[in-house]
Amino acid sequence: MNQNTVQIEFTINGKKVTTNIPSHVTALHVIREIMGLKGSKEGCGIGECGACTIQVDDKAVNSCLMLGAQLHNRDVMTIEGLSKEKKLHPLQEKFIENHAVQCGFCTPGLLMSTHAFLKENENPDRQEITRAIAGNLCRCTGYQQIITSIEAALQDESCRGGE
Amino acid sequence: MNMNYVRPRDLAEAFAFLAENGRDTTIIAGGTDVMVDLRSGELDTRFLLDISRLDELKGIRLEGENLVVGATTTLSDIYHSELLTQYAPALQKSAYNFASTQIRNVATIGGNVAHCSPCGDTVPPLVIHETKVVFSGKKGERRIPIEEVATGPYRCFLEKDEIITAFILKPVEADFADFQKIGRRKDLAISRLSMAVMVDRDSDGIISSMKFSLGACTPTPHRMTAVEEFMTGKKVTCELLFEGGKLLAEKMIEITGRRPSIIYKEPAVQGLFVRMLYPVV
Ligand SMILES: Cc1cc2nc3c(=O)[nH]c(=O)nc-3n(C[C@H](O)[C@H](O)[C@H](O)COP(=O)(O)OP(=O)(O)OC[C@H]3O[C@@H](n4cnc5c(N)ncnc54)[C@H](O)[C@@H]3O)c2cc1C
Ligand code: FES
Ligand code: FES
Repeated sequence: MNQNTVQIEFTINGKKVTTNIPSHVTALHVIREIMGLKGSKEGCGIGECGACTIQVDDKAVNSCLMLGAQLHNRDVMTIEGLSKEKKLHPLQEKFIENHAVQCGFCTPGLLMSTHAFLKENENPDRQEITRAIAGNLCRCTGYQQIITSIEAALQDESCRGGE
Repeated sequence: MNMNYVRPRDLAEAFAFLAENGRDTTIIAGGTDVMVDLRSGELDTRFLLDISRLDELKGIRLEGENLVVGATTTLSDIYHSELLTQYAPALQKSAYNFASTQIRNVATIGGNVAHCSPCGDTVPPLVIHETKVVFSGKKGERRIPIEEVATGPYRCFLEKDEIITAFILKPVEADFADFQKIGRRKDLAISRLSMAVMVDRDSDGIISSMKFSLGACTPTPHRMTAVEEFMTGKKVTCELLFEGGKLLAEKMIEITGRRPSIIYKEPAVQGLFVRMLYPVV
C-alpha cells in the first residue's frame, strides 16, 4: 500500500523537530509512536474522554482529533514537558497531595487541561474549574479530589509556571 | 490509506485546488467532525484540504450594517468575543455549553454549519440573526440564507469547488437573548433539542419584536414565525409562555410528523420554551 507522507516542523516541549509522517495519522499517533512520548493516552479516540489532551500554542486540545499534519509550525506541549530535570511540577505535586491520582490514566490529560486553564484564569470559582475539566473523564476519583487539587494549585503561584 | 494532505498558502490557492480537485477533496478546519468520520471509516477521501490556517477566514468584525464572522472562527473565539456579547449574545451562548474546552479550542463555526448535522448548536442563533452564508470559489461568491444551507440531515448545499468563507449576521442589541439545549448529558452533549431567541419589549413590558428558531428536533433549522407572531404585541405572563410553548410543539409536529420520540419531545419543547423565556416575565 502506498503511504503518502508529509513533512512537518514543530516545537515539542521546547525542542524543534522536523519529521516525515504519514498524511492520515493523528497528532496523538505522532506524539506516541513517532516521538515515542507515551504520556499522552488514547482512551476513546473520538474526543470524549480527554486522556489525549495536549497543549498546542498554549491551548488544550484533544490530540486524537487533530491531524498530525496540523502540528506544522505549532508549539506543542505534552505531559513530558511539564516536569523539569526529573523533578515534578508543583501542579503534579498538588495532584498527588490531594489524592487526585488513582489509576492515573486520566492524569496526563487532566494536567494539560489544568495547566492551560491556570495560564488564562486568575481567580476561577469551583464552577469554572468544573467547566474547564469537563472534557476530561476520570473513572476512579469522582472528580472532587481533582477539583480540590486545582483549588490548592490556585493558592500557589509556582503552579502556573513551567514551559 | 491513500490520502494526501494539502495546506494552501492562501485562499486563492485553496480555490484553485478545489476547482481542479473538488470532487476528490474534503475540507478540514478544526477536524472535530472529519477526524471522527475518518476513524470510523465513514469518510474516505483522496485529499484533505486544510483551511484552518487561512487568515482570510478568521475573525469577527462589524462591517457597515453587518456583523461578519469568519468561517474558521473557533467556538472559543465566539465564547470570548465582546462584539458578540453586544450584538449576537445568543450565538455566544451557544458556545457556552458546546462540547468541551479542548473541542471549543479548535472546532469552527464553518465546520459546524457545513457538517449540516441537525444538532449544530450555532445554527439556531444564526437563524434568528437572519444570517447569510458566504459560499466562495474560483468563480466568485454567492450568499445563501442559513436556513437553506442544509438540504437535509448531513446534506449541504455547497458545491464541491466552494468554501464557506464567512457568515453575515444582522447585529441586534436585544433586551433579552438566549440559547438553550437539551442533550444526553450536560457536557459534551450533542443536542436533542435546541432553541434560540431574541426579544425586545416596550416600556409597558409588551413584546415589540421577537425572533425564534428551533434546532435539532427538525431535520433542518426553522425560524418559527407563527410563534413569533403569536407572542408579539402581548405582555409576557406565565400563561402566555405556556400557550406559546404549546403552539411551538404543534408547529414542530407539523414539520416532523408524529414520530415515536414525540412523546418525549412535545413536553420537552414546551418546557424548554417556558424555561428559556421565564426570565422575561
Ligand atoms: C466529543 C464531541 C462533542 C461535540 N459536541 C458538540 C456540541 O455540543 N454541539 C455541536 O454543535 N457540535 C458538537 N460536536 C461536533 C463538532 O465539534 C462541530 O460540528 C464543530 O463545529 C465542527 O467544526 P470543525 O471545524 O471541527 O469541522 P471539521 O471537522 O473540520 O469539518 C466538518 C465538516 O465541514 C466541512 N467544512 C469545514 N469547514 C468548512 C468550510 N469553511 N467550508 C466548507 N466546508 C467546511 C468539512 O469538510 C466537514 O465535512 C462535537 C463533536 C465531538 C467529537
Ligand atoms: S482519546 Fe482523545 S478524547 Fe479520548
Ligand atoms: S485516576 Fe483512574 S481514570 Fe482518573
